Amino acid sequence: MAPRIQNQVVSNTLLPYLSSSSTSTCLPRLSTSSSQALAYSPRSSCRSFSSSVAPQTRQRREMFQWLSGPGARFKNHVPGETNYLTARKTPDGKLLRTSRPFIDNQQYRSEPILSVDLQNEIYDRVVKHKKSVRAVSVELDVDMRRVAAVVRLMELQKKMTDEGKSLALPYGRAIHEMLEKTEYEHGVGASRSHENINDLPSHRLTHPQIFYPVSESRQFNRVDAGRVFSGAPALEHEEVARNAVDPYAAVTRVTHKPSAIEMVGKGDEEHQVLQPADTRIPHPHLVAKERDSLNHPEETYANRKVYNERLRAEEKAQEDRRLKAEERRAKRMLRVQPEDSRFEFRIQDVVVSRETTGKNGRGAAAPGRRYGVPANDRKKGEVKIPTRVVV
Amino acid sequence: MRNRATTGLKKPKIRQSWSKWNLYNMQRFRMKPPHVRTHFQQKWDAKSVARNYHGEQVSEKQWARMFSPRIRSVVSMNARQLAEDDGSKMSAGRGAGLHQTEEEAFKQDEKPIPYAQMTFAPLERRLDTAVFRAMFASSARQARQFVIHGAVTVNGKQMKYPGYLLNPGDLFQVEPDRVMYATGAPKDRSDRRESRLAKKAEEEAKAREEAAAAEDKEQEPAEAQPEEEQPMDPRDTLKALLFQAKEILSTDKSTLPAKRKQQLRGFQKAIKRVLSRSESSTILTDSLEAQFSQLTLLLKAKRTEQQTDEKAEKAEKAEKAEKAEKAEKAEKAEEAEKAVEAKKGSEESDELKVPRPAESESKPSTSDKQTLRDNLSEAFLQASKNQEVDMTQLDDEELEVLKRALVQMRENPIDHSKPYATPWLPRDYMSAFATIPRYLEVNHNICAAVYLRHPVARPGWSEVPSPFSDHVGTMAFTWYLRRR
Amino acid sequence: MVVRIRLSRFGNRHQPFYNIVVAQARSARDSKPLEVIGTFNPIPQRPTNLSEQEARRAKAYKEISLDRSRARYWLGVGAQPSDSVWKLMTLVRLPLLRRRLSISTTVTDDDCEIITTRLTHCC
Repeated sequence: MAPRIQNQVVSNTLLPYLSSSSTSTCLPRLSTSSSQALAYSPRSSCRSFSSSVAPQTRQRREMFQWLSGPGARFKNHVPGETNYLTARKTPDGKLLRTSRPFIDNQQYRSEPILSVDLQNEIYDRVVKHKKSVRAVSVELDVDMRRVAAVVRLMELQKKMTDEGKSLALPYGRAIHEMLEKTEYEHGVGASRSHENINDLPSHRLTHPQIFYPVSESRQFNRVDAGRVFSGAPALEHEEVARNAVDPYAAVTRVTHKPSAIEMVGKGDEEHQVLQPADTRIPHPHLVAKERDSLNHPEETYANRKVYNERLRAEEKAQEDRRLKAEERRAKRMLRVQPEDSRFEFRIQDVVVSRETTGKNGRGAAAPGRRYGVPANDRKKGEVKIPTRVVV
Repeated sequence: MRNRATTGLKKPKIRQSWSKWNLYNMQRFRMKPPHVRTHFQQKWDAKSVARNYHGEQVSEKQWARMFSPRIRSVVSMNARQLAEDDGSKMSAGRGAGLHQTEEEAFKQDEKPIPYAQMTFAPLERRLDTAVFRAMFASSARQARQFVIHGAVTVNGKQMKYPGYLLNPGDLFQVEPDRVMYATGAPKDRSDRRESRLAKKAEEEAKAREEAAAAEDKEQEPAEAQPEEEQPMDPRDTLKALLFQAKEILSTDKSTLPAKRKQQLRGFQKAIKRVLSRSESSTILTDSLEAQFSQLTLLLKAKRTEQQTDEKAEKAEKAEKAEKAEKAEKAEKAEEAEKAVEAKKGSEESDELKVPRPAESESKPSTSDKQTLRDNLSEAFLQASKNQEVDMTQLDDEELEVLKRALVQMRENPIDHSKPYATPWLPRDYMSAFATIPRYLEVNHNICAAVYLRHPVARPGWSEVPSPFSDHVGTMAFTWYLRRR
Repeated sequence: MVVRIRLSRFGNRHQPFYNIVVAQARSARDSKPLEVIGTFNPIPQRPTNLSEQEARRAKAYKEISLDRSRARYWLGVGAQPSDSVWKLMTLVRLPLLRRRLSISTTVTDDDCEIITTRLTHCC
């Protein structure tokens, strides 16, 4: 809290900060006089009895000088432009706006957000035109997770407007004025790229540097490198030959059935073999498309057809996987609604066996709270708040 | 009131806050020069300044547990490159790739990944930090308060723990009213007085009603209705309304904010008065389209276009000419405004609320507004078809003005019951802090955001908003690395 | 001695949570059982992510998890469910349950129906 200021003490110098009507002209003049007065008057006396100028520290003075001088342009934004500290004036007096909000941090930039038009377009393509998230992501150069999120948020907005809840429309408009935006440009292929959609996360296994001698005559590719990183033996020659014929099939074999990935190591050390970048990126079909256009540059029509087919197959595989998972879940979950009960009962099928309970009967995989195992819920270092909220 | 404990001037600390104190501290912040500090001192300095910003509300112990030396990073892959080369080119020769020209080498030379700037990435998972990063609160402390006070939901469920660690795909939402309060300009003295008066008047009216009800009970055969309101001539009302709407939308800088407010209030009242004549009782709370069609119906307004004789054509031509003229004028006016605003930016120092972007609101920039307007015009068409008598005629321009005024009044009304100054304006110095990191996808209209993934570093860029240089990041990282 | 299938209370104050256990009838409620075959959470959970209207209409649900094959086995070898467990098991419709009960208590099928409805009524 600010110190309370008694009425008598409030002098002209303090007024600018108490009320909200300071002007730039009165500041420097007052500040010089106040600093002189301060230097000779003890603080306590100036507070309660003296009618001399009230305390005004140098720091505060300087701050308000800055705020009314070079800092004044940060007070209000200019619609459509950023207003960051890093903006510099060119010699001819123009303001060079930047996308870096922090002076010292050269590695952070404020990246553009999706404009309202682009958001609407994403929503329309997914919901009205029934396109898959993957297809829309490729068309508009927006990450798949972002596409899904936009659709989810727009649905929520629709729901809220239908329910007559108040929205923060002026706030939303102001934010969109302050930030850079990726606009949607009508026409195919004309829209600006929002972000790179084929990001490859760096894998834990690739962190150590490995010295691995290979004969110069050998074709050492990404698949081999992955196997070396995960400590797996090199692939058989037949397998290599099979993959070389149709690289995309080799990719889909893994992406459509991740459980089929080869395992290496024993016991707790067991892990999957590291897959090459072609498999681990979100859109492997784009690589296949490029390969086609490299191999058969003339047959654009055929290439396009194959590409569309692949996309469709990808969507189908994904849908199948989703349905299967749902079916499996439904199979394990029985829902009963007794007529005379206020509640529904959800009965989950679980397995009690030697594998789940373990030899001593204390295994964590078995249903129920365990016996002979301390409940660590109040222990230091344990997370005591929820860790997830199920949708 | 600023928090004196957190934003001081003597020992400047940078905080997660949008206050002007923090802005001032941020622009003058300097680390002590490294050549006068020992390595240990450098690490200490770095971690202390960094911790004042990153998770200042989190205890050191808790943060030390959260810290992870394993940092997430991604590399953007180019599908073309992947297709051209299966990796054997890179490993060819003696293992460092085939001999390449300098140009190729330059092309491949990517910026280093700023791992050190990701030291505090685990804190970005916290719910309170994410609420601040999505720009729903003006400081991390305020975000924390919102969470604790139960204004934040995660996946539709109330979440009262600011330390909840968001999982990828979690949707969090803050009550829009709180966000408007956190990000809007505060009420000034006159606003507060007005809201007090409004509250008082409301209470009095209530008391009077109650008293009247009690009296009614005593004397049963009271008169049914006090006095019938004299219905005004619709033509006059419409004229008056139009005049008011034009006043509101005028972008004249010379009008004082108080005056503007008065105008807005007058318009609001007039609309209410007109609409209360309607038979449907819900019209005051109905949708905009319904209100507008009702308005036109009540005032028997009609578009000039419907007339099919030459008169109309003439009128149209005149209109077009007028429009062109007006558009030109508007453009000029806009330019002038921009110039004025730029000037003002350097001049203005007063805290007085300037008569500011009313024009930005009336600009037909966003498309949701576009759709709104489309709906409106449809509603209008229907309304005009339904009626036979036309008493008043409006040209397109006037209709547009009326509509726009109605939209603006509807979206950003004067409402003294709100805890922020109305009509809503962004708070001062907000734009200097405005940034939304890529790991969040935010819908500001409903004040909801999705936590897409954990923040990552990529060549040249880090996704954790931090005001410090990479040297500070490196030193802080080393400090916490020591304790693992 | 009789083997019973019954509930044993876990959780904290005002937060009951039950293990469905198979145990000797004379053993303490929370002592180590022969086997844990499932759990029952008596606190009704509200379904999330619904609109306000849907949420008003939606029924709250209670979660049960049960290893049906183990339950069938224990019933088959003569374990007797307690009232509350029997009530839960009727929801799953374990075939052995009704026969076993009708034999042990010598009630007819109709009576069994009545008891079932009475018991589901109280939960």
